[in-house]
Amino acid sequence: MKENQIQTYLRKLERQLWVRGLADKNDLDELESHLLESMERGLVQGLSAEEAERQALEHFGKIRTIISAFEREGMNLMQKILLALAILSGLFIAFVDSRPTWDDTGITAGAMLLSSGLLTLLGYRRPWLIALVIGLWTPLYETYLSRNFHFPGVILFPLLVLLIPMIGAYAGWAVRLGIRKTMHPA
Amino acid sequence: MIGEALKGHLDLLLLAILAEEPAHGYAVIESLRSRSGGIFALPEGTIYPALHRLERQGLLRSSWSEDSARRKRIYQLTPKGQQSLAKRQEEWKKFSKAIDATVAI
Repeated sequence: MKENQIQTYLRKLERQLWVRGLADKNDLDELESHLLESMERGLVQGLSAEEAERQALEHFGKIRTIISAFEREGMNLMQKILLALAILSGLFIAFVDSRPTWDDTGITAGAMLLSSGLLTLLGYRRPWLIALVIGLWTPLYETYLSRNFHFPGVILFPLLVLLIPMIGAYAGWAVRLGIRKTMHPA
Repeated sequence: MIGEALKGHLDLLLLAILAEEPAHGYAVIESLRSRSGGIFALPEGTIYPALHRLERQGLLRSSWSEDSARRKRIYQLTPKGQQSLAKRQEEWKKFSKAIDATVAI
């Protein structure tokens, strides 16, 4: 069955919100309900289904505008605290890892994995950002100490290290999503 | 210009509309548009993140209504929201009076 304009719009919006860690099923249901009501209003006014859909979407706003509004309003105090904790964790891990007596990469990797997972499990909505602020300091400092600024190592090494907190952050986020779905199946 | 100016006072407008009666987002937007004679016409979708924020701040609470053919999320003011509205209305009166006094020809 061919997807209508509203469905296409909502699918794109959901994807964009999801990428930013802002997707919420209830919120999306609410937006869909609004668009359908707006479309029905257009039909009552005598518009064709296609015109009514187009008008509803035009009044609703461009996807970029809606995403910006969600991003602007979504950064609450808890999110700021969790982000600050992530930055501090990342700096602490980098500091410990840089000590001359420290020679346990496994523990460094484990600390990155655990801290990133825990922070997204606690509710931070952007796993990629958590992974970045936890995982970036260690390779940056390592690169600075070794003075090895040659390509491709200077790019590949941080990317490789970032994989660890990225896995942790998305795992924590997925567990949280699973818990939320179990508790609120609607 | 109106859109930008409106954003700074959106919370006051939303709380004032919902102080009269609980309503869902679409009705809030309709009310905003009709009361302002069509002047306050923001992209409709941008109202929702503001409503959600006000709910997180404890100024609104929402519940899902299954009465009509479609599920609707109904917002209503909390006691904290009523207090906040009264305070904002006072501030607005002072502010608009000062603006009037300044720009009056």
